[in-house]
Amino acid sequence: MLNVLMLGIGQCGNRILDAVNKESFGGSSKLSKYYSRQKFPSRVETLAINTAVNDLKELKFTSAKDRFHVPNLHGVGANRSIGKQGFWDNRDMIMEEIERRGDFDIAFVMTSASGGTGSSFTPLIIHELRERYKNITVIAVMVLPFREEGSIYLQNAAFSMRDIMEVESDGIILVDNQYLKRLSGDIKTAYDKINDMVAERILFLIESLDSEMLSVTDLGDFKTVMRGGLGMGTLGFYESDKKTTSLTSAIEGSIKPGGLLYPANVYEDAARAMIIIQGSRESLDVDEITKSVEKLSTKIGQVFKGIIIKKGKPKILSVFTLGQVPDLEMLYAQAAQAIQDEKGRKTRAKKQLDDAFAYIEDLEEIY
Amino acid sequence: MRLIYLVVLALLASPILLMPMAAAASDDDDEEDDETTSREFSFRAGEGVKIGDYRVELISVVSVMDGLIEVKVWRRASDFEDWRVMEDHRDANFDEGAERGGLTLTVIDIFDEETVRMRAEYRSDYGYPQKYVTQRAMAPKNLPKLAVQATVDKTDISAGDEVKVTITVTNTGNDTARDIVVQDSPPLPQFRYLAGYPPKIKNQLQPGESDLAVYSMVAVTVGDVNMPVTVARYADSKSTIYSASSPSISIEIKPKRMPNLVLKVDPPGPIKHGGEGTINVTVENKGDASAYRVEVSAEVKSDGNGLEPVKGNLDKSFFEIPPGESEMYSATIKGSRSGSYAINLVASYQGDGEMMQKETGFEVAVLEREHKYLYYLLIVPVLILGFWLFRRYKEYKY
Repeated sequence: MLNVLMLGIGQCGNRILDAVNKESFGGSSKLSKYYSRQKFPSRVETLAINTAVNDLKELKFTSAKDRFHVPNLHGVGANRSIGKQGFWDNRDMIMEEIERRGDFDIAFVMTSASGGTGSSFTPLIIHELRERYKNITVIAVMVLPFREEGSIYLQNAAFSMRDIMEVESDGIILVDNQYLKRLSGDIKTAYDKINDMVAERILFLIESLDSEMLSVTDLGDFKTVMRGGLGMGTLGFYESDKKTTSLTSAIEGSIKPGGLLYPANVYEDAARAMIIIQGSRESLDVDEITKSVEKLSTKIGQVFKGIIIKKGKPKILSVFTLGQVPDLEMLYAQAAQAIQDEKGRKTRAKKQLDDAFAYIEDLEEIY
Repeated sequence: MRLIYLVVLALLASPILLMPMAAAASDDDDEEDDETTSREFSFRAGEGVKIGDYRVELISVVSVMDGLIEVKVWRRASDFEDWRVMEDHRDANFDEGAERGGLTLTVIDIFDEETVRMRAEYRSDYGYPQKYVTQRAMAPKNLPKLAVQATVDKTDISAGDEVKVTITVTNTGNDTARDIVVQDSPPLPQFRYLAGYPPKIKNQLQPGESDLAVYSMVAVTVGDVNMPVTVARYADSKSTIYSASSPSISIEIKPKRMPNLVLKVDPPGPIKHGGEGTINVTVENKGDASAYRVEVSAEVKSDGNGLEPVKGNLDKSFFEIPPGESEMYSATIKGSRSGSYAINLVASYQGDGEMMQKETGFEVAVLEREHKYLYYLLIVPVLILGFWLFRRYKEYKY
């Protein structure tokens, strides 16, 4: 059995973690925590970490003992420098809270790339996890911001992504809010849907790594996939319905843009992939699955496949890393432009202020 | 002018010419007056009829059975007077009969002691006869007259009831009634006669005197009975026989009066274990006769002895319960053991000499001993649920 650590850092990470906990209750009712028990496919420990206590209070399905407020902080105001300092000041306490939960084989660190606490804490926590746990696989789940959210957020996203790459995580799963906001008209509902989608896919992934499968994919395969390409990728998902005529079309559906968390052309951009198919024995045709995966391999390269026998409609989860990320490059360009603009605004403001002060230069106060 | 004299002369001469003709015509009329005619009359005693100068009076009906009447015939302004007893359907000539200017009378029918029908034959020239009433007819007669009355003391009776019949005979006439014989209806099968039957009345009753006879009988069968008239036969001083009768009486004999006891029980609701309950019993006589020697007894059918009398008793006796009345009593019992107890109440009573019985049943439930602590057990799951919810709330409350 896999020992899984799921950390939700910052407001966004907390909410995704809460969605994971909600999903583990069955995911249907707001009151399910009162009459149901959490069911994880593996031994899963969850911990929400935040510098803002109000963000922790908003959580509904995460138990109180799994919420950790970094003392003496009331948020970091999207300032990564303050965030980093806050982490160093409380590092032992934070890591002790994590280590108290035991040993782990894999850790998912879920956060927003653009927030204050998440973007500053996450690279440091990943680094600490790699230092303290010898064989742990650390996967960062990074949520990219709406492009119009503001220059600080874009700047935070750019620098935090670089920091994470530098601390050598085992991979980054990208989730792009800008890409996914098409799911709903209003921001609140869009956030909730994105969080639910991420939670469902990650739990599916954990289940697939820790199940008796007809065709095995394990943690090693997953690590191989995540280390391919740029070391960053995303998740695709497809659930069969009446319109789905074959498993082949269902597998293709899981890698189409509509089923992805980050905009990518899998056939052109993907480096490695893992396709996990879950469904009842009657609905799964191994030959058809094998042919479909082989067809995909000819275009992508290495594709691992896993088949899980479980009652219900066929569900497909695709995990892949990317060899090129043009959208991320655009984000960095936007972030650089935003930094330049911010710098220019500050220079102009400083000059205006200096010009204003020039009027009273050499003058004394007279009373 | 000469013509006028001739007419006047003729008119003056006409009486002289017509006179011999009138004398001839008068001779013809005399021949016609010798013809007779006849006519029928109905007479009551004391009535008469004028036929020319003759007067015919019915003195009395001597005997209806023998067909004899007594008549008086006399002629006005003459010495002719003839009293005679006439026989039925036989002609009787008076003053030489109708052929010779007298009267011929015939009795056609005798209706009763007072009334007859006669035919009179007389000369046609006596004119139209006229009836008249004599002073004697208007004078009160010295005749007995009995009034018979039969009464019963009650007409609304039931089989088995005794009825008293009173026969009263009163002489309302002005002469002594003799040889009085009362003939009551023959014994009726619907009754059993007890005493005084047949009724006996004095042999003679003076004017204004009355006598009565009473007899009693018991109704035997059910149904409508029309008692026939009671007839009294009597004779007057002339041994003329008369009869008088009473009106008939209708009696309805209803079914036999019987008591009908109804037992009504107002049982207590379920009695708590060790608690008490009151049983109210009403014995009502819904029949139309008194119930005598009423004995009510109770029997607990169920096994065991879980009911104990505390106050009063369900067994009770009453000497008489008249129809329409009721008796009430109550008893208090204590439930000493749980269970359902069937109690049977039996009322035996006497009515019209025979014993009768009525019974009714009811149930008294004694509840199980109440273990109140069981109620607290209901709270336990609620507390567990509440504790569970509170614990979950605290678990997820930050």
